[in-house]
Amino acid sequence: MRQQYTSELEQLALQVELMGILVDENLERMRTVLSKGNLSIAEEALRVDDRIDAMNVSLMERSYELLRREAPVASDLRLIVSVLRVTAELERIGDLSLRIAKLAPEHELLTRVPTAFDILETLAGHAVTQYRDALRAWSTLDLALAERVATEPEVALALRHLVEALLSYEGPDAVVVALRTMVAGQALDRIADHSAVLGARVRYLITGDPDHLAAEVR
Amino acid sequence: MPEQRKTFHQELDEIRDDIVRLGALVGEFIPRGTEVLLANDMVGAQLLIESDDELDDLSLRIEEHCYHVLALQQPMASDLRSIVTGLWLTGELERSGDLMVNVAKGARRIYGVTLDPKLRGLIERMSEEASRLMKLALDAYAERNASLGVAIDDIDDTLDTIHGDYIEAIFESHATHDIGLQASVQLALIGRYYERIGDHAVNIGQRVQYMVTGWLPEQTGAARLIARRSLAAEIGAEVSASEAESGP
Repeated sequence: MRQQYTSELEQLALQVELMGILVDENLERMRTVLSKGNLSIAEEALRVDDRIDAMNVSLMERSYELLRREAPVASDLRLIVSVLRVTAELERIGDLSLRIAKLAPEHELLTRVPTAFDILETLAGHAVTQYRDALRAWSTLDLALAERVATEPEVALALRHLVEALLSYEGPDAVVVALRTMVAGQALDRIADHSAVLGARVRYLITGDPDHLAAEVR
Repeated sequence: MPEQRKTFHQELDEIRDDIVRLGALVGEFIPRGTEVLLANDMVGAQLLIESDDELDDLSLRIEEHCYHVLALQQPMASDLRSIVTGLWLTGELERSGDLMVNVAKGARRIYGVTLDPKLRGLIERMSEEASRLMKLALDAYAERNASLGVAIDDIDDTLDTIHGDYIEAIFESHATHDIGLQASVQLALIGRYYERIGDHAVNIGQRVQYMVTGWLPEQTGAARLIARRSLAAEIGAEVSASEAESGP
């Protein structure tokens, strides 16, 4: 009985990792759409997001089932609650990457201001790296890595440069270019931010230190 | 009803009350931050930034309380959803408070810049709309009103429209040299903070929908039907459990 419970917990953590990989693949699609505006890849990302959502629902149900049936304590409780919180973050990161994929039909607008477009691509690279580190920290329970992702400084400066570049553009469609570019910039900024929260969640999972819970509340 | 069960429900009530209180604090933050911004009030900005500690402290206590209840009690399905919803909501509310702190910090950066009436009006409207969304989200939570919760997503469209007009107004003011580049950048970033508060309100509404109905916005047609059926079964099970408890 106990053995089955332990293996269910292991399975749960593994399924989160699989969900994380699906999100990772969609982030890669998002990055391709951002750089080339490829419509069919954007559509593929939308389809995969349905699978991500389904996994989110199923993981949530399994977590509830375990909470209800096993009344876990200490590190098991931390793991299950972490699963609930981590999957919510993963789902949100997936949605944010879709915001960018949905810009595919208007991709040309994103490239109108070359400096701004460069910043978007840099932000995308940063967000994907942050996310991958967070996911790796979850898979390997690497405290140092989780710590690094959790405390990565915000990218507000890049966003500021992005808005600066947009304001310096004087074309007739300047406002629509700015609005679309900012949608992408903000989504990327928030992917990095949610990845930092993921890192903080993993850190709390490993240490169980309430101070680490506090550190998340910034 | 046995004593332990009653205590457990008292704990749940306390968690709910604390979340409503946290929401009320965030609700105060929104007009306060806007006032600081529009009045160039540096003392007010500092006070608001300092008040965020109180908000952080409360959200941490709620979170610890949720863990405590999960660890020491054996909640049934719907109670379990309430506790996990509590954990999620503290995160959404705490981050909304942080966004108003960012508005106050932005106000410091544009200290002394005069905003034209159009921009001021749009900032006021974004602030009112963000406040309204947050209030509706919290009403939905306090009243366990799933329909209201899920409607917030549509209501949020107004804030998105005002935000679009606001960005356009920044461009106009910048083009006519009424405001400089750095102030325009700050204003654009400030606008996004209001928009994000709206997003948080939408998330809260969806969590409330989940808390009450047991299904998530990600679940589509057929999945919702299954979830509704299992909810009906779950309610049936809880009714029989509580009947058994109160039995001889």
